[in-house]
Amino acid sequence: MSTRPASWGRWTYYGINGCILGFLLGPLIVVAIFSLNPTPYIQFPPVGVTLRWYEKFFASHEFMNSLWLSFRIAAAVVVLSSLIGACAALALARGRLPGARFLAALFLAPLMLPAILTGLALFQLLLTFDVGRPTWALVIGHTLVAVPYVIRTTIAVLADFDRSIEEAAAVLGASPVRVFFEVTLPIIRPGIIAGGIFAFIVSFDQFPISLFLVAPNNETLPIVMFNYMKFELDGAIAAASMVSILLALAVVLAIDRLVGLRATMKM
Amino acid sequence: MESATLAGAVTSLRSEPAAGMRISPIAYLVAPASLFFLLFFVLPFGVMALLSVLTGNPLQRADVTLTLRNYARMADDTLYLESLVSTLKIGAITTLTALLLGYPLAHWLARIHSRLGHALLLMAVIAPMLTGIVVRTFAWIAILSDRGVINSSLAGLGLTAAPLHLMYNEFGTIVALVHIYVPFMVLTLAGVIGAIDERLEDAARNLGASPMRAFVEVTLPLSLPGILAGSLLVFALAISAYVTPYLMGGQQVLTLPMLIYQQVAATFNAAFAGALGVLLLVVSVVLVIAYNHVLARLARREDLA
Repeated sequence: MSTRPASWGRWTYYGINGCILGFLLGPLIVVAIFSLNPTPYIQFPPVGVTLRWYEKFFASHEFMNSLWLSFRIAAAVVVLSSLIGACAALALARGRLPGARFLAALFLAPLMLPAILTGLALFQLLLTFDVGRPTWALVIGHTLVAVPYVIRTTIAVLADFDRSIEEAAAVLGASPVRVFFEVTLPIIRPGIIAGGIFAFIVSFDQFPISLFLVAPNNETLPIVMFNYMKFELDGAIAAASMVSILLALAVVLAIDRLVGLRATMKM
Repeated sequence: MESATLAGAVTSLRSEPAAGMRISPIAYLVAPASLFFLLFFVLPFGVMALLSVLTGNPLQRADVTLTLRNYARMADDTLYLESLVSTLKIGAITTLTALLLGYPLAHWLARIHSRLGHALLLMAVIAPMLTGIVVRTFAWIAILSDRGVINSSLAGLGLTAAPLHLMYNEFGTIVALVHIYVPFMVLTLAGVIGAIDERLEDAARNLGASPMRAFVEVTLPLSLPGILAGSLLVFALAISAYVTPYLMGGQQVLTLPMLIYQQVAATFNAAFAGALGVLLLVVSVVLVIAYNHVLARLARREDLA
């Protein structure tokens, strides 16, 4: 395409792609506009600029409690899924493990099977063993959908790096444990960190699993927002949404700086 | 090409042990994940399936027997079949639309030469993907509702006398679902298109093919595995959506996930919810198996060619 002079075909190509980008990003811009518009209902074009919806969001006990809960759960999920996922990725990629393909399919299954079913199944488990709706159940449910991301980003880094570095260290007399801690781990660290960042955002935004596992008065931010939206659509929802959008942007930038988006987003 | 797909990332590692190679100690690191998934993934699904064919909770009552009443109820009432059909229909339209919108963008992403351009484009695709489903559904309410961006603009320009009904129906549901799942399609396709040697298309053009024909006869067929993989992923995600059909569909759209949650939250019939869950699970598993099958066949065909 680069060698040809501009033609209408090329302009159509960019025109279509511009429209698709608009479709993708437009809604996020609309949310930003509505979060600043003073009217307490959906109105367009906006009639002014106000920060009252952000004040309402940050002053609301319900929103703040759920925001805090979502942060704590996401932090626990990051730790748990990074540990489990990085170990599994190493074993799958380096362990010469019989049945590795089956296990890999199992560990990626939470991404392929409907999350709403994972939520339902965990709900049935809690119900059967009569353990109520503890917060750790949310952590476990979110970890199930976060582990595949950590495995993927770690394997992406493992697949790229030269096995001979490890072999050279071994030939030079390093024990397998020393090879692991001094060669393998430093190399895969960016993959684990990127996976951990994904785990954070996956947990922070998780909805279907939380829907089945939250206890009343102990609800995550997306659940509180959903329940709020059933009855009211004022700017507080837009402000809450902006917090989530800005967080997603921060995550994207962080991953890009750490390991590059390209390596981690191969589906 | 294989490595561009979700499962392919792992199969490409060729991790099956070669004959005579001993298992490395690193293999034992798989234990925590195996235990975690056994306890909190395999066991819960087993419990769900088991409870759906029992008359009660065997841990709480002694007189529990096997029953097929939950499945009989599902077969008796056409509501459930209708909702399954409507779920699959919404999933199919969403997948097709996401493919049509995702392909051009994926092609651009795979072929753009500027490093900065690529990074910006990738961010534009991933940022919406990492924004919560509830947030993006709200954005579409703000755009499509009676007082939303589109209807207000049309009325302001004097083009419409009454607002168009853009939401609380299947249309609004599908538009929002496409927006939510199109990034998954773009990323899957971009991986596959990026793996196709650009010089093949250049060669076709140098031999006299128009850019369109070079694309249709060279790149498009080679990207077929990506089309299949992306479509399967989006379909599987779309049929399990709950928030979007609930908020965008009004009472007009009743999908299987909505019925499932209703059984848990409103009717307190966990066993029947489990039976509906098994139905959705069977559909999903069939999809995943079909996807692996088609992908394997395509890989074989490429080996022969």
